[in-house]
Amino acid sequence: MTERTRSAGWTTAAGQIAPYILAILVAFAVAGLVIGLMGFNVPKAYATILFTSFRTHNGFINTLNKWVPLILQALAFTVPLTAGKFNIGGEGQLIAGAVGAAAVGIVFAGQPAVVLLPLVLAAGALMGMLWVLLPSVLLYRFSINEILTTVLMNFVAFEFIDYVATQVWPDPAAGHPTTLPIGAGGWLPLLISRPPLHSGIILGLLVGGAVYLYTSRTSAGYELMATGANSRASRVFGINVRRMFFLSLLAGGAIGGLSGAIEVAGVQHRLIEGLQSNYLLLGIIIGLIARGDNLAVPFVAFFISVLEVGASAMQRTLQIPSEMVLIVEALVLLFVLLSDVIRRR
Amino acid sequence: MVPDPRDHPLIAMADSSPHEASFIEMRQIDKSFGAVHALDGAGLELRRGEIHGLLGGNGAGKTTLMNVLYGLYRADSGDILKDGAPVEIRSPKDALDHGIGMVHQRFLQIETFTVVENVVLGETLEHRWRLDLGPERQRIEQLSSRFGLQADPKATVASLPMGVRQRVEILKALFRGVRLLILDEPTTNLTPQEVDSLFASLRTMVDQGMTVVFITHKLREVMAVCDRISVLRNGRHMMTVARHEAQEERLIHEMVGDELDVASSLVFADRATPTPQAGKKDLPPALQVSDLNVVDKKEILVIREVSFEVGQGEILGIAGVAGNGQKALVESLLNIRPRLRGQVMLSTTDATALDTRRLLEAGMAYIPEDRFRDGSLPSASVADNLILGAQRQAPYAKRGLLNSDVVQQSARDLIAQYSIRTQGPSEVAARLSGGNLQRMLIARAFARPVRILIAHNPTGGLDIASVEFVYRQLLERCRQGMACLLVSDDLDELLLLCHRLAVIYRGALVGEVTRESYDKYEIGRMMSGATAGD
Repeated sequence: MTERTRSAGWTTAAGQIAPYILAILVAFAVAGLVIGLMGFNVPKAYATILFTSFRTHNGFINTLNKWVPLILQALAFTVPLTAGKFNIGGEGQLIAGAVGAAAVGIVFAGQPAVVLLPLVLAAGALMGMLWVLLPSVLLYRFSINEILTTVLMNFVAFEFIDYVATQVWPDPAAGHPTTLPIGAGGWLPLLISRPPLHSGIILGLLVGGAVYLYTSRTSAGYELMATGANSRASRVFGINVRRMFFLSLLAGGAIGGLSGAIEVAGVQHRLIEGLQSNYLLLGIIIGLIARGDNLAVPFVAFFISVLEVGASAMQRTLQIPSEMVLIVEALVLLFVLLSDVIRRR
Repeated sequence: MVPDPRDHPLIAMADSSPHEASFIEMRQIDKSFGAVHALDGAGLELRRGEIHGLLGGNGAGKTTLMNVLYGLYRADSGDILKDGAPVEIRSPKDALDHGIGMVHQRFLQIETFTVVENVVLGETLEHRWRLDLGPERQRIEQLSSRFGLQADPKATVASLPMGVRQRVEILKALFRGVRLLILDEPTTNLTPQEVDSLFASLRTMVDQGMTVVFITHKLREVMAVCDRISVLRNGRHMMTVARHEAQEERLIHEMVGDELDVASSLVFADRATPTPQAGKKDLPPALQVSDLNVVDKKEILVIREVSFEVGQGEILGIAGVAGNGQKALVESLLNIRPRLRGQVMLSTTDATALDTRRLLEAGMAYIPEDRFRDGSLPSASVADNLILGAQRQAPYAKRGLLNSDVVQQSARDLIAQYSIRTQGPSEVAARLSGGNLQRMLIARAFARPVRILIAHNPTGGLDIASVEFVYRQLLERCRQGMACLLVSDDLDELLLLCHRLAVIYRGALVGEVTRESYDKYEIGRMMSGATAGD
């Protein structure tokens, strides 16, 4: 679906990008209107949102660090979507993955990096997969809607992380539900030390590339895509679509879990309640703006990451609430979807 | 009793004269759906007391034009005149007020209601406070006997055969006192006997001064029953001619234009098709099915003890009124639907336990009836669609990796070979027209070595040139030894193409005929449930 339809040539590629640019422009115009009405300086706000990431060293590294969980959360959503299934449980999978990573990192704290780091990451992916297992089984066996079950698993995860951070390995010195730190062997090595850029970015891009290659170049990926395009026809032509649903959700869960492990191993080095931020929401927005196209996800995620970093800076320097940027992001999505409707006319 | 108007000297004389008063006239009707120009200045002139055949291939605009007259669509421009005066028809209610009724291909009936209840639905009742349908029933019975439309008013619609359900639909229109009755492809799903009885009823109606518009793509039917014939093509009115002046070749030419060589075409051939060689008797049959039983979701038996075989190079037709288990039959053969019991042999190997993918790999090919829902991936490219089902087979894939060069190249070849009109292998399938989508399905089925093709209504809804194409491909392949199980609702198609015909009725095969002894009426009897020899 992705590479194959894209290869139609540059003219169609331009035709695909044009609505995005238009959507971004209109979204900014509308948001600018609101910022103006609130009595803030609109050009300054725009400049802060857009250029913070590129003006300072710090801003750029921040953007890259934010990019990683956004790519992974978006892929946790779009991989099952390739098969036509909606994983709205990325948040729970992130938390479960973080818990798994932290547990391994604390219990085997003394192990060297060669042993501990892979273990921490694998535990995260495994826990994410485990977190989506129940919804997947319910879908496979009883055709129970996965949207509902994956969302509900998020709430279970909130209690889970609270329990682990306050009862199992609590850090009595912290004022917020937090665990003890994981062993240094479980930390992701830094690529740049000041400001710190952890190597999770390599993992994020590797996963993104692997997902793209898998879905566009392998028979199994073709079956995933076909199932999403028309599950009935896929079944008629011999594809076990229920298996595709099941496996796509598990893959999404593993990616979601990995994003949690990277937050622990790369950023926090411990489990902190609330480390999931609003990544699920942003992941879904990214996935939808990318129209479920796995190849487009890293690019859209980078754009959103720029906006997010700009938003924090805007709040700090101009006292404009950073939620303004969430409005921009939502409007971009809205206008991209609107452009689909218009094009169909 | 009013005499046959054609026998009347005055009318017979005025038959083809342009001065005869028209009842309804449509002028310069234009209608577009998005980019599709469905009607392009089409017109039609209808007179009292005539059966007017509206002839054209699929997509010619016949149904659209009549939907405009019935008020279902508003024309973009153009006029409708009744007795010379312009009228405004905005809804089916307006149309009924003007005495215009229409029977669509898909019946709008409530299955659990009785015939009377369906007929009076939406009408003001005589005893509306007591729900006594006595007076209405009497009126329906009168109409039934007057026009020869036998239907038990107290029967539940779900229990009735298609022919009777169609009569109910016609009675609905007559009950509302229509003077012009439009029938859209009314012979689909009828047995030859039911067709004859329908034609007799239509004749009675026009004898009593009514007008009937008969929409069809079948030339033979208009020649059998119509007084005048109008041909539509590409949304344009091509010609109108009285039947006794009509030349078949001219009508065909107006229907298809220059796209098709009429003289050598199969679609218009009358059984005189070059008979492809019969099944090779000395070789094992390509497909052998024994004692096949299938149940539906409610555990009701929908296929009962079906056994048959298809020889190599043979086309076995399955005839039957739609809804008698055809879909369950083909889907259970491919193991898309689980079988309760039964054995399936492909040539000499037992294929009973193979799943759908293995069956496709073993040389089965399938052209599903619903090419949108069951046959294509709308958001995927044509190239991707063409490998559906073969995504793990050489040469497209090797050890789980797709070879996109091979996939693209083979797509380009198939697009050329099967004349699929598309911008190229990367265009998404959703942008193909129905006919091109069907070509794509056929290309996919034939792209690999096929031992047995299972085709379900492969020409449904296709334009004439595409139907011709499908027939040619099918016969050519069978000449090369492919076996084919052709399941079709179109009896004429089966008579034209098949070596042998089996008739399916309520999930069981109730009879079998070979080509030498084809008798349409005999087959029709079996289709309606009477066993051979009754």
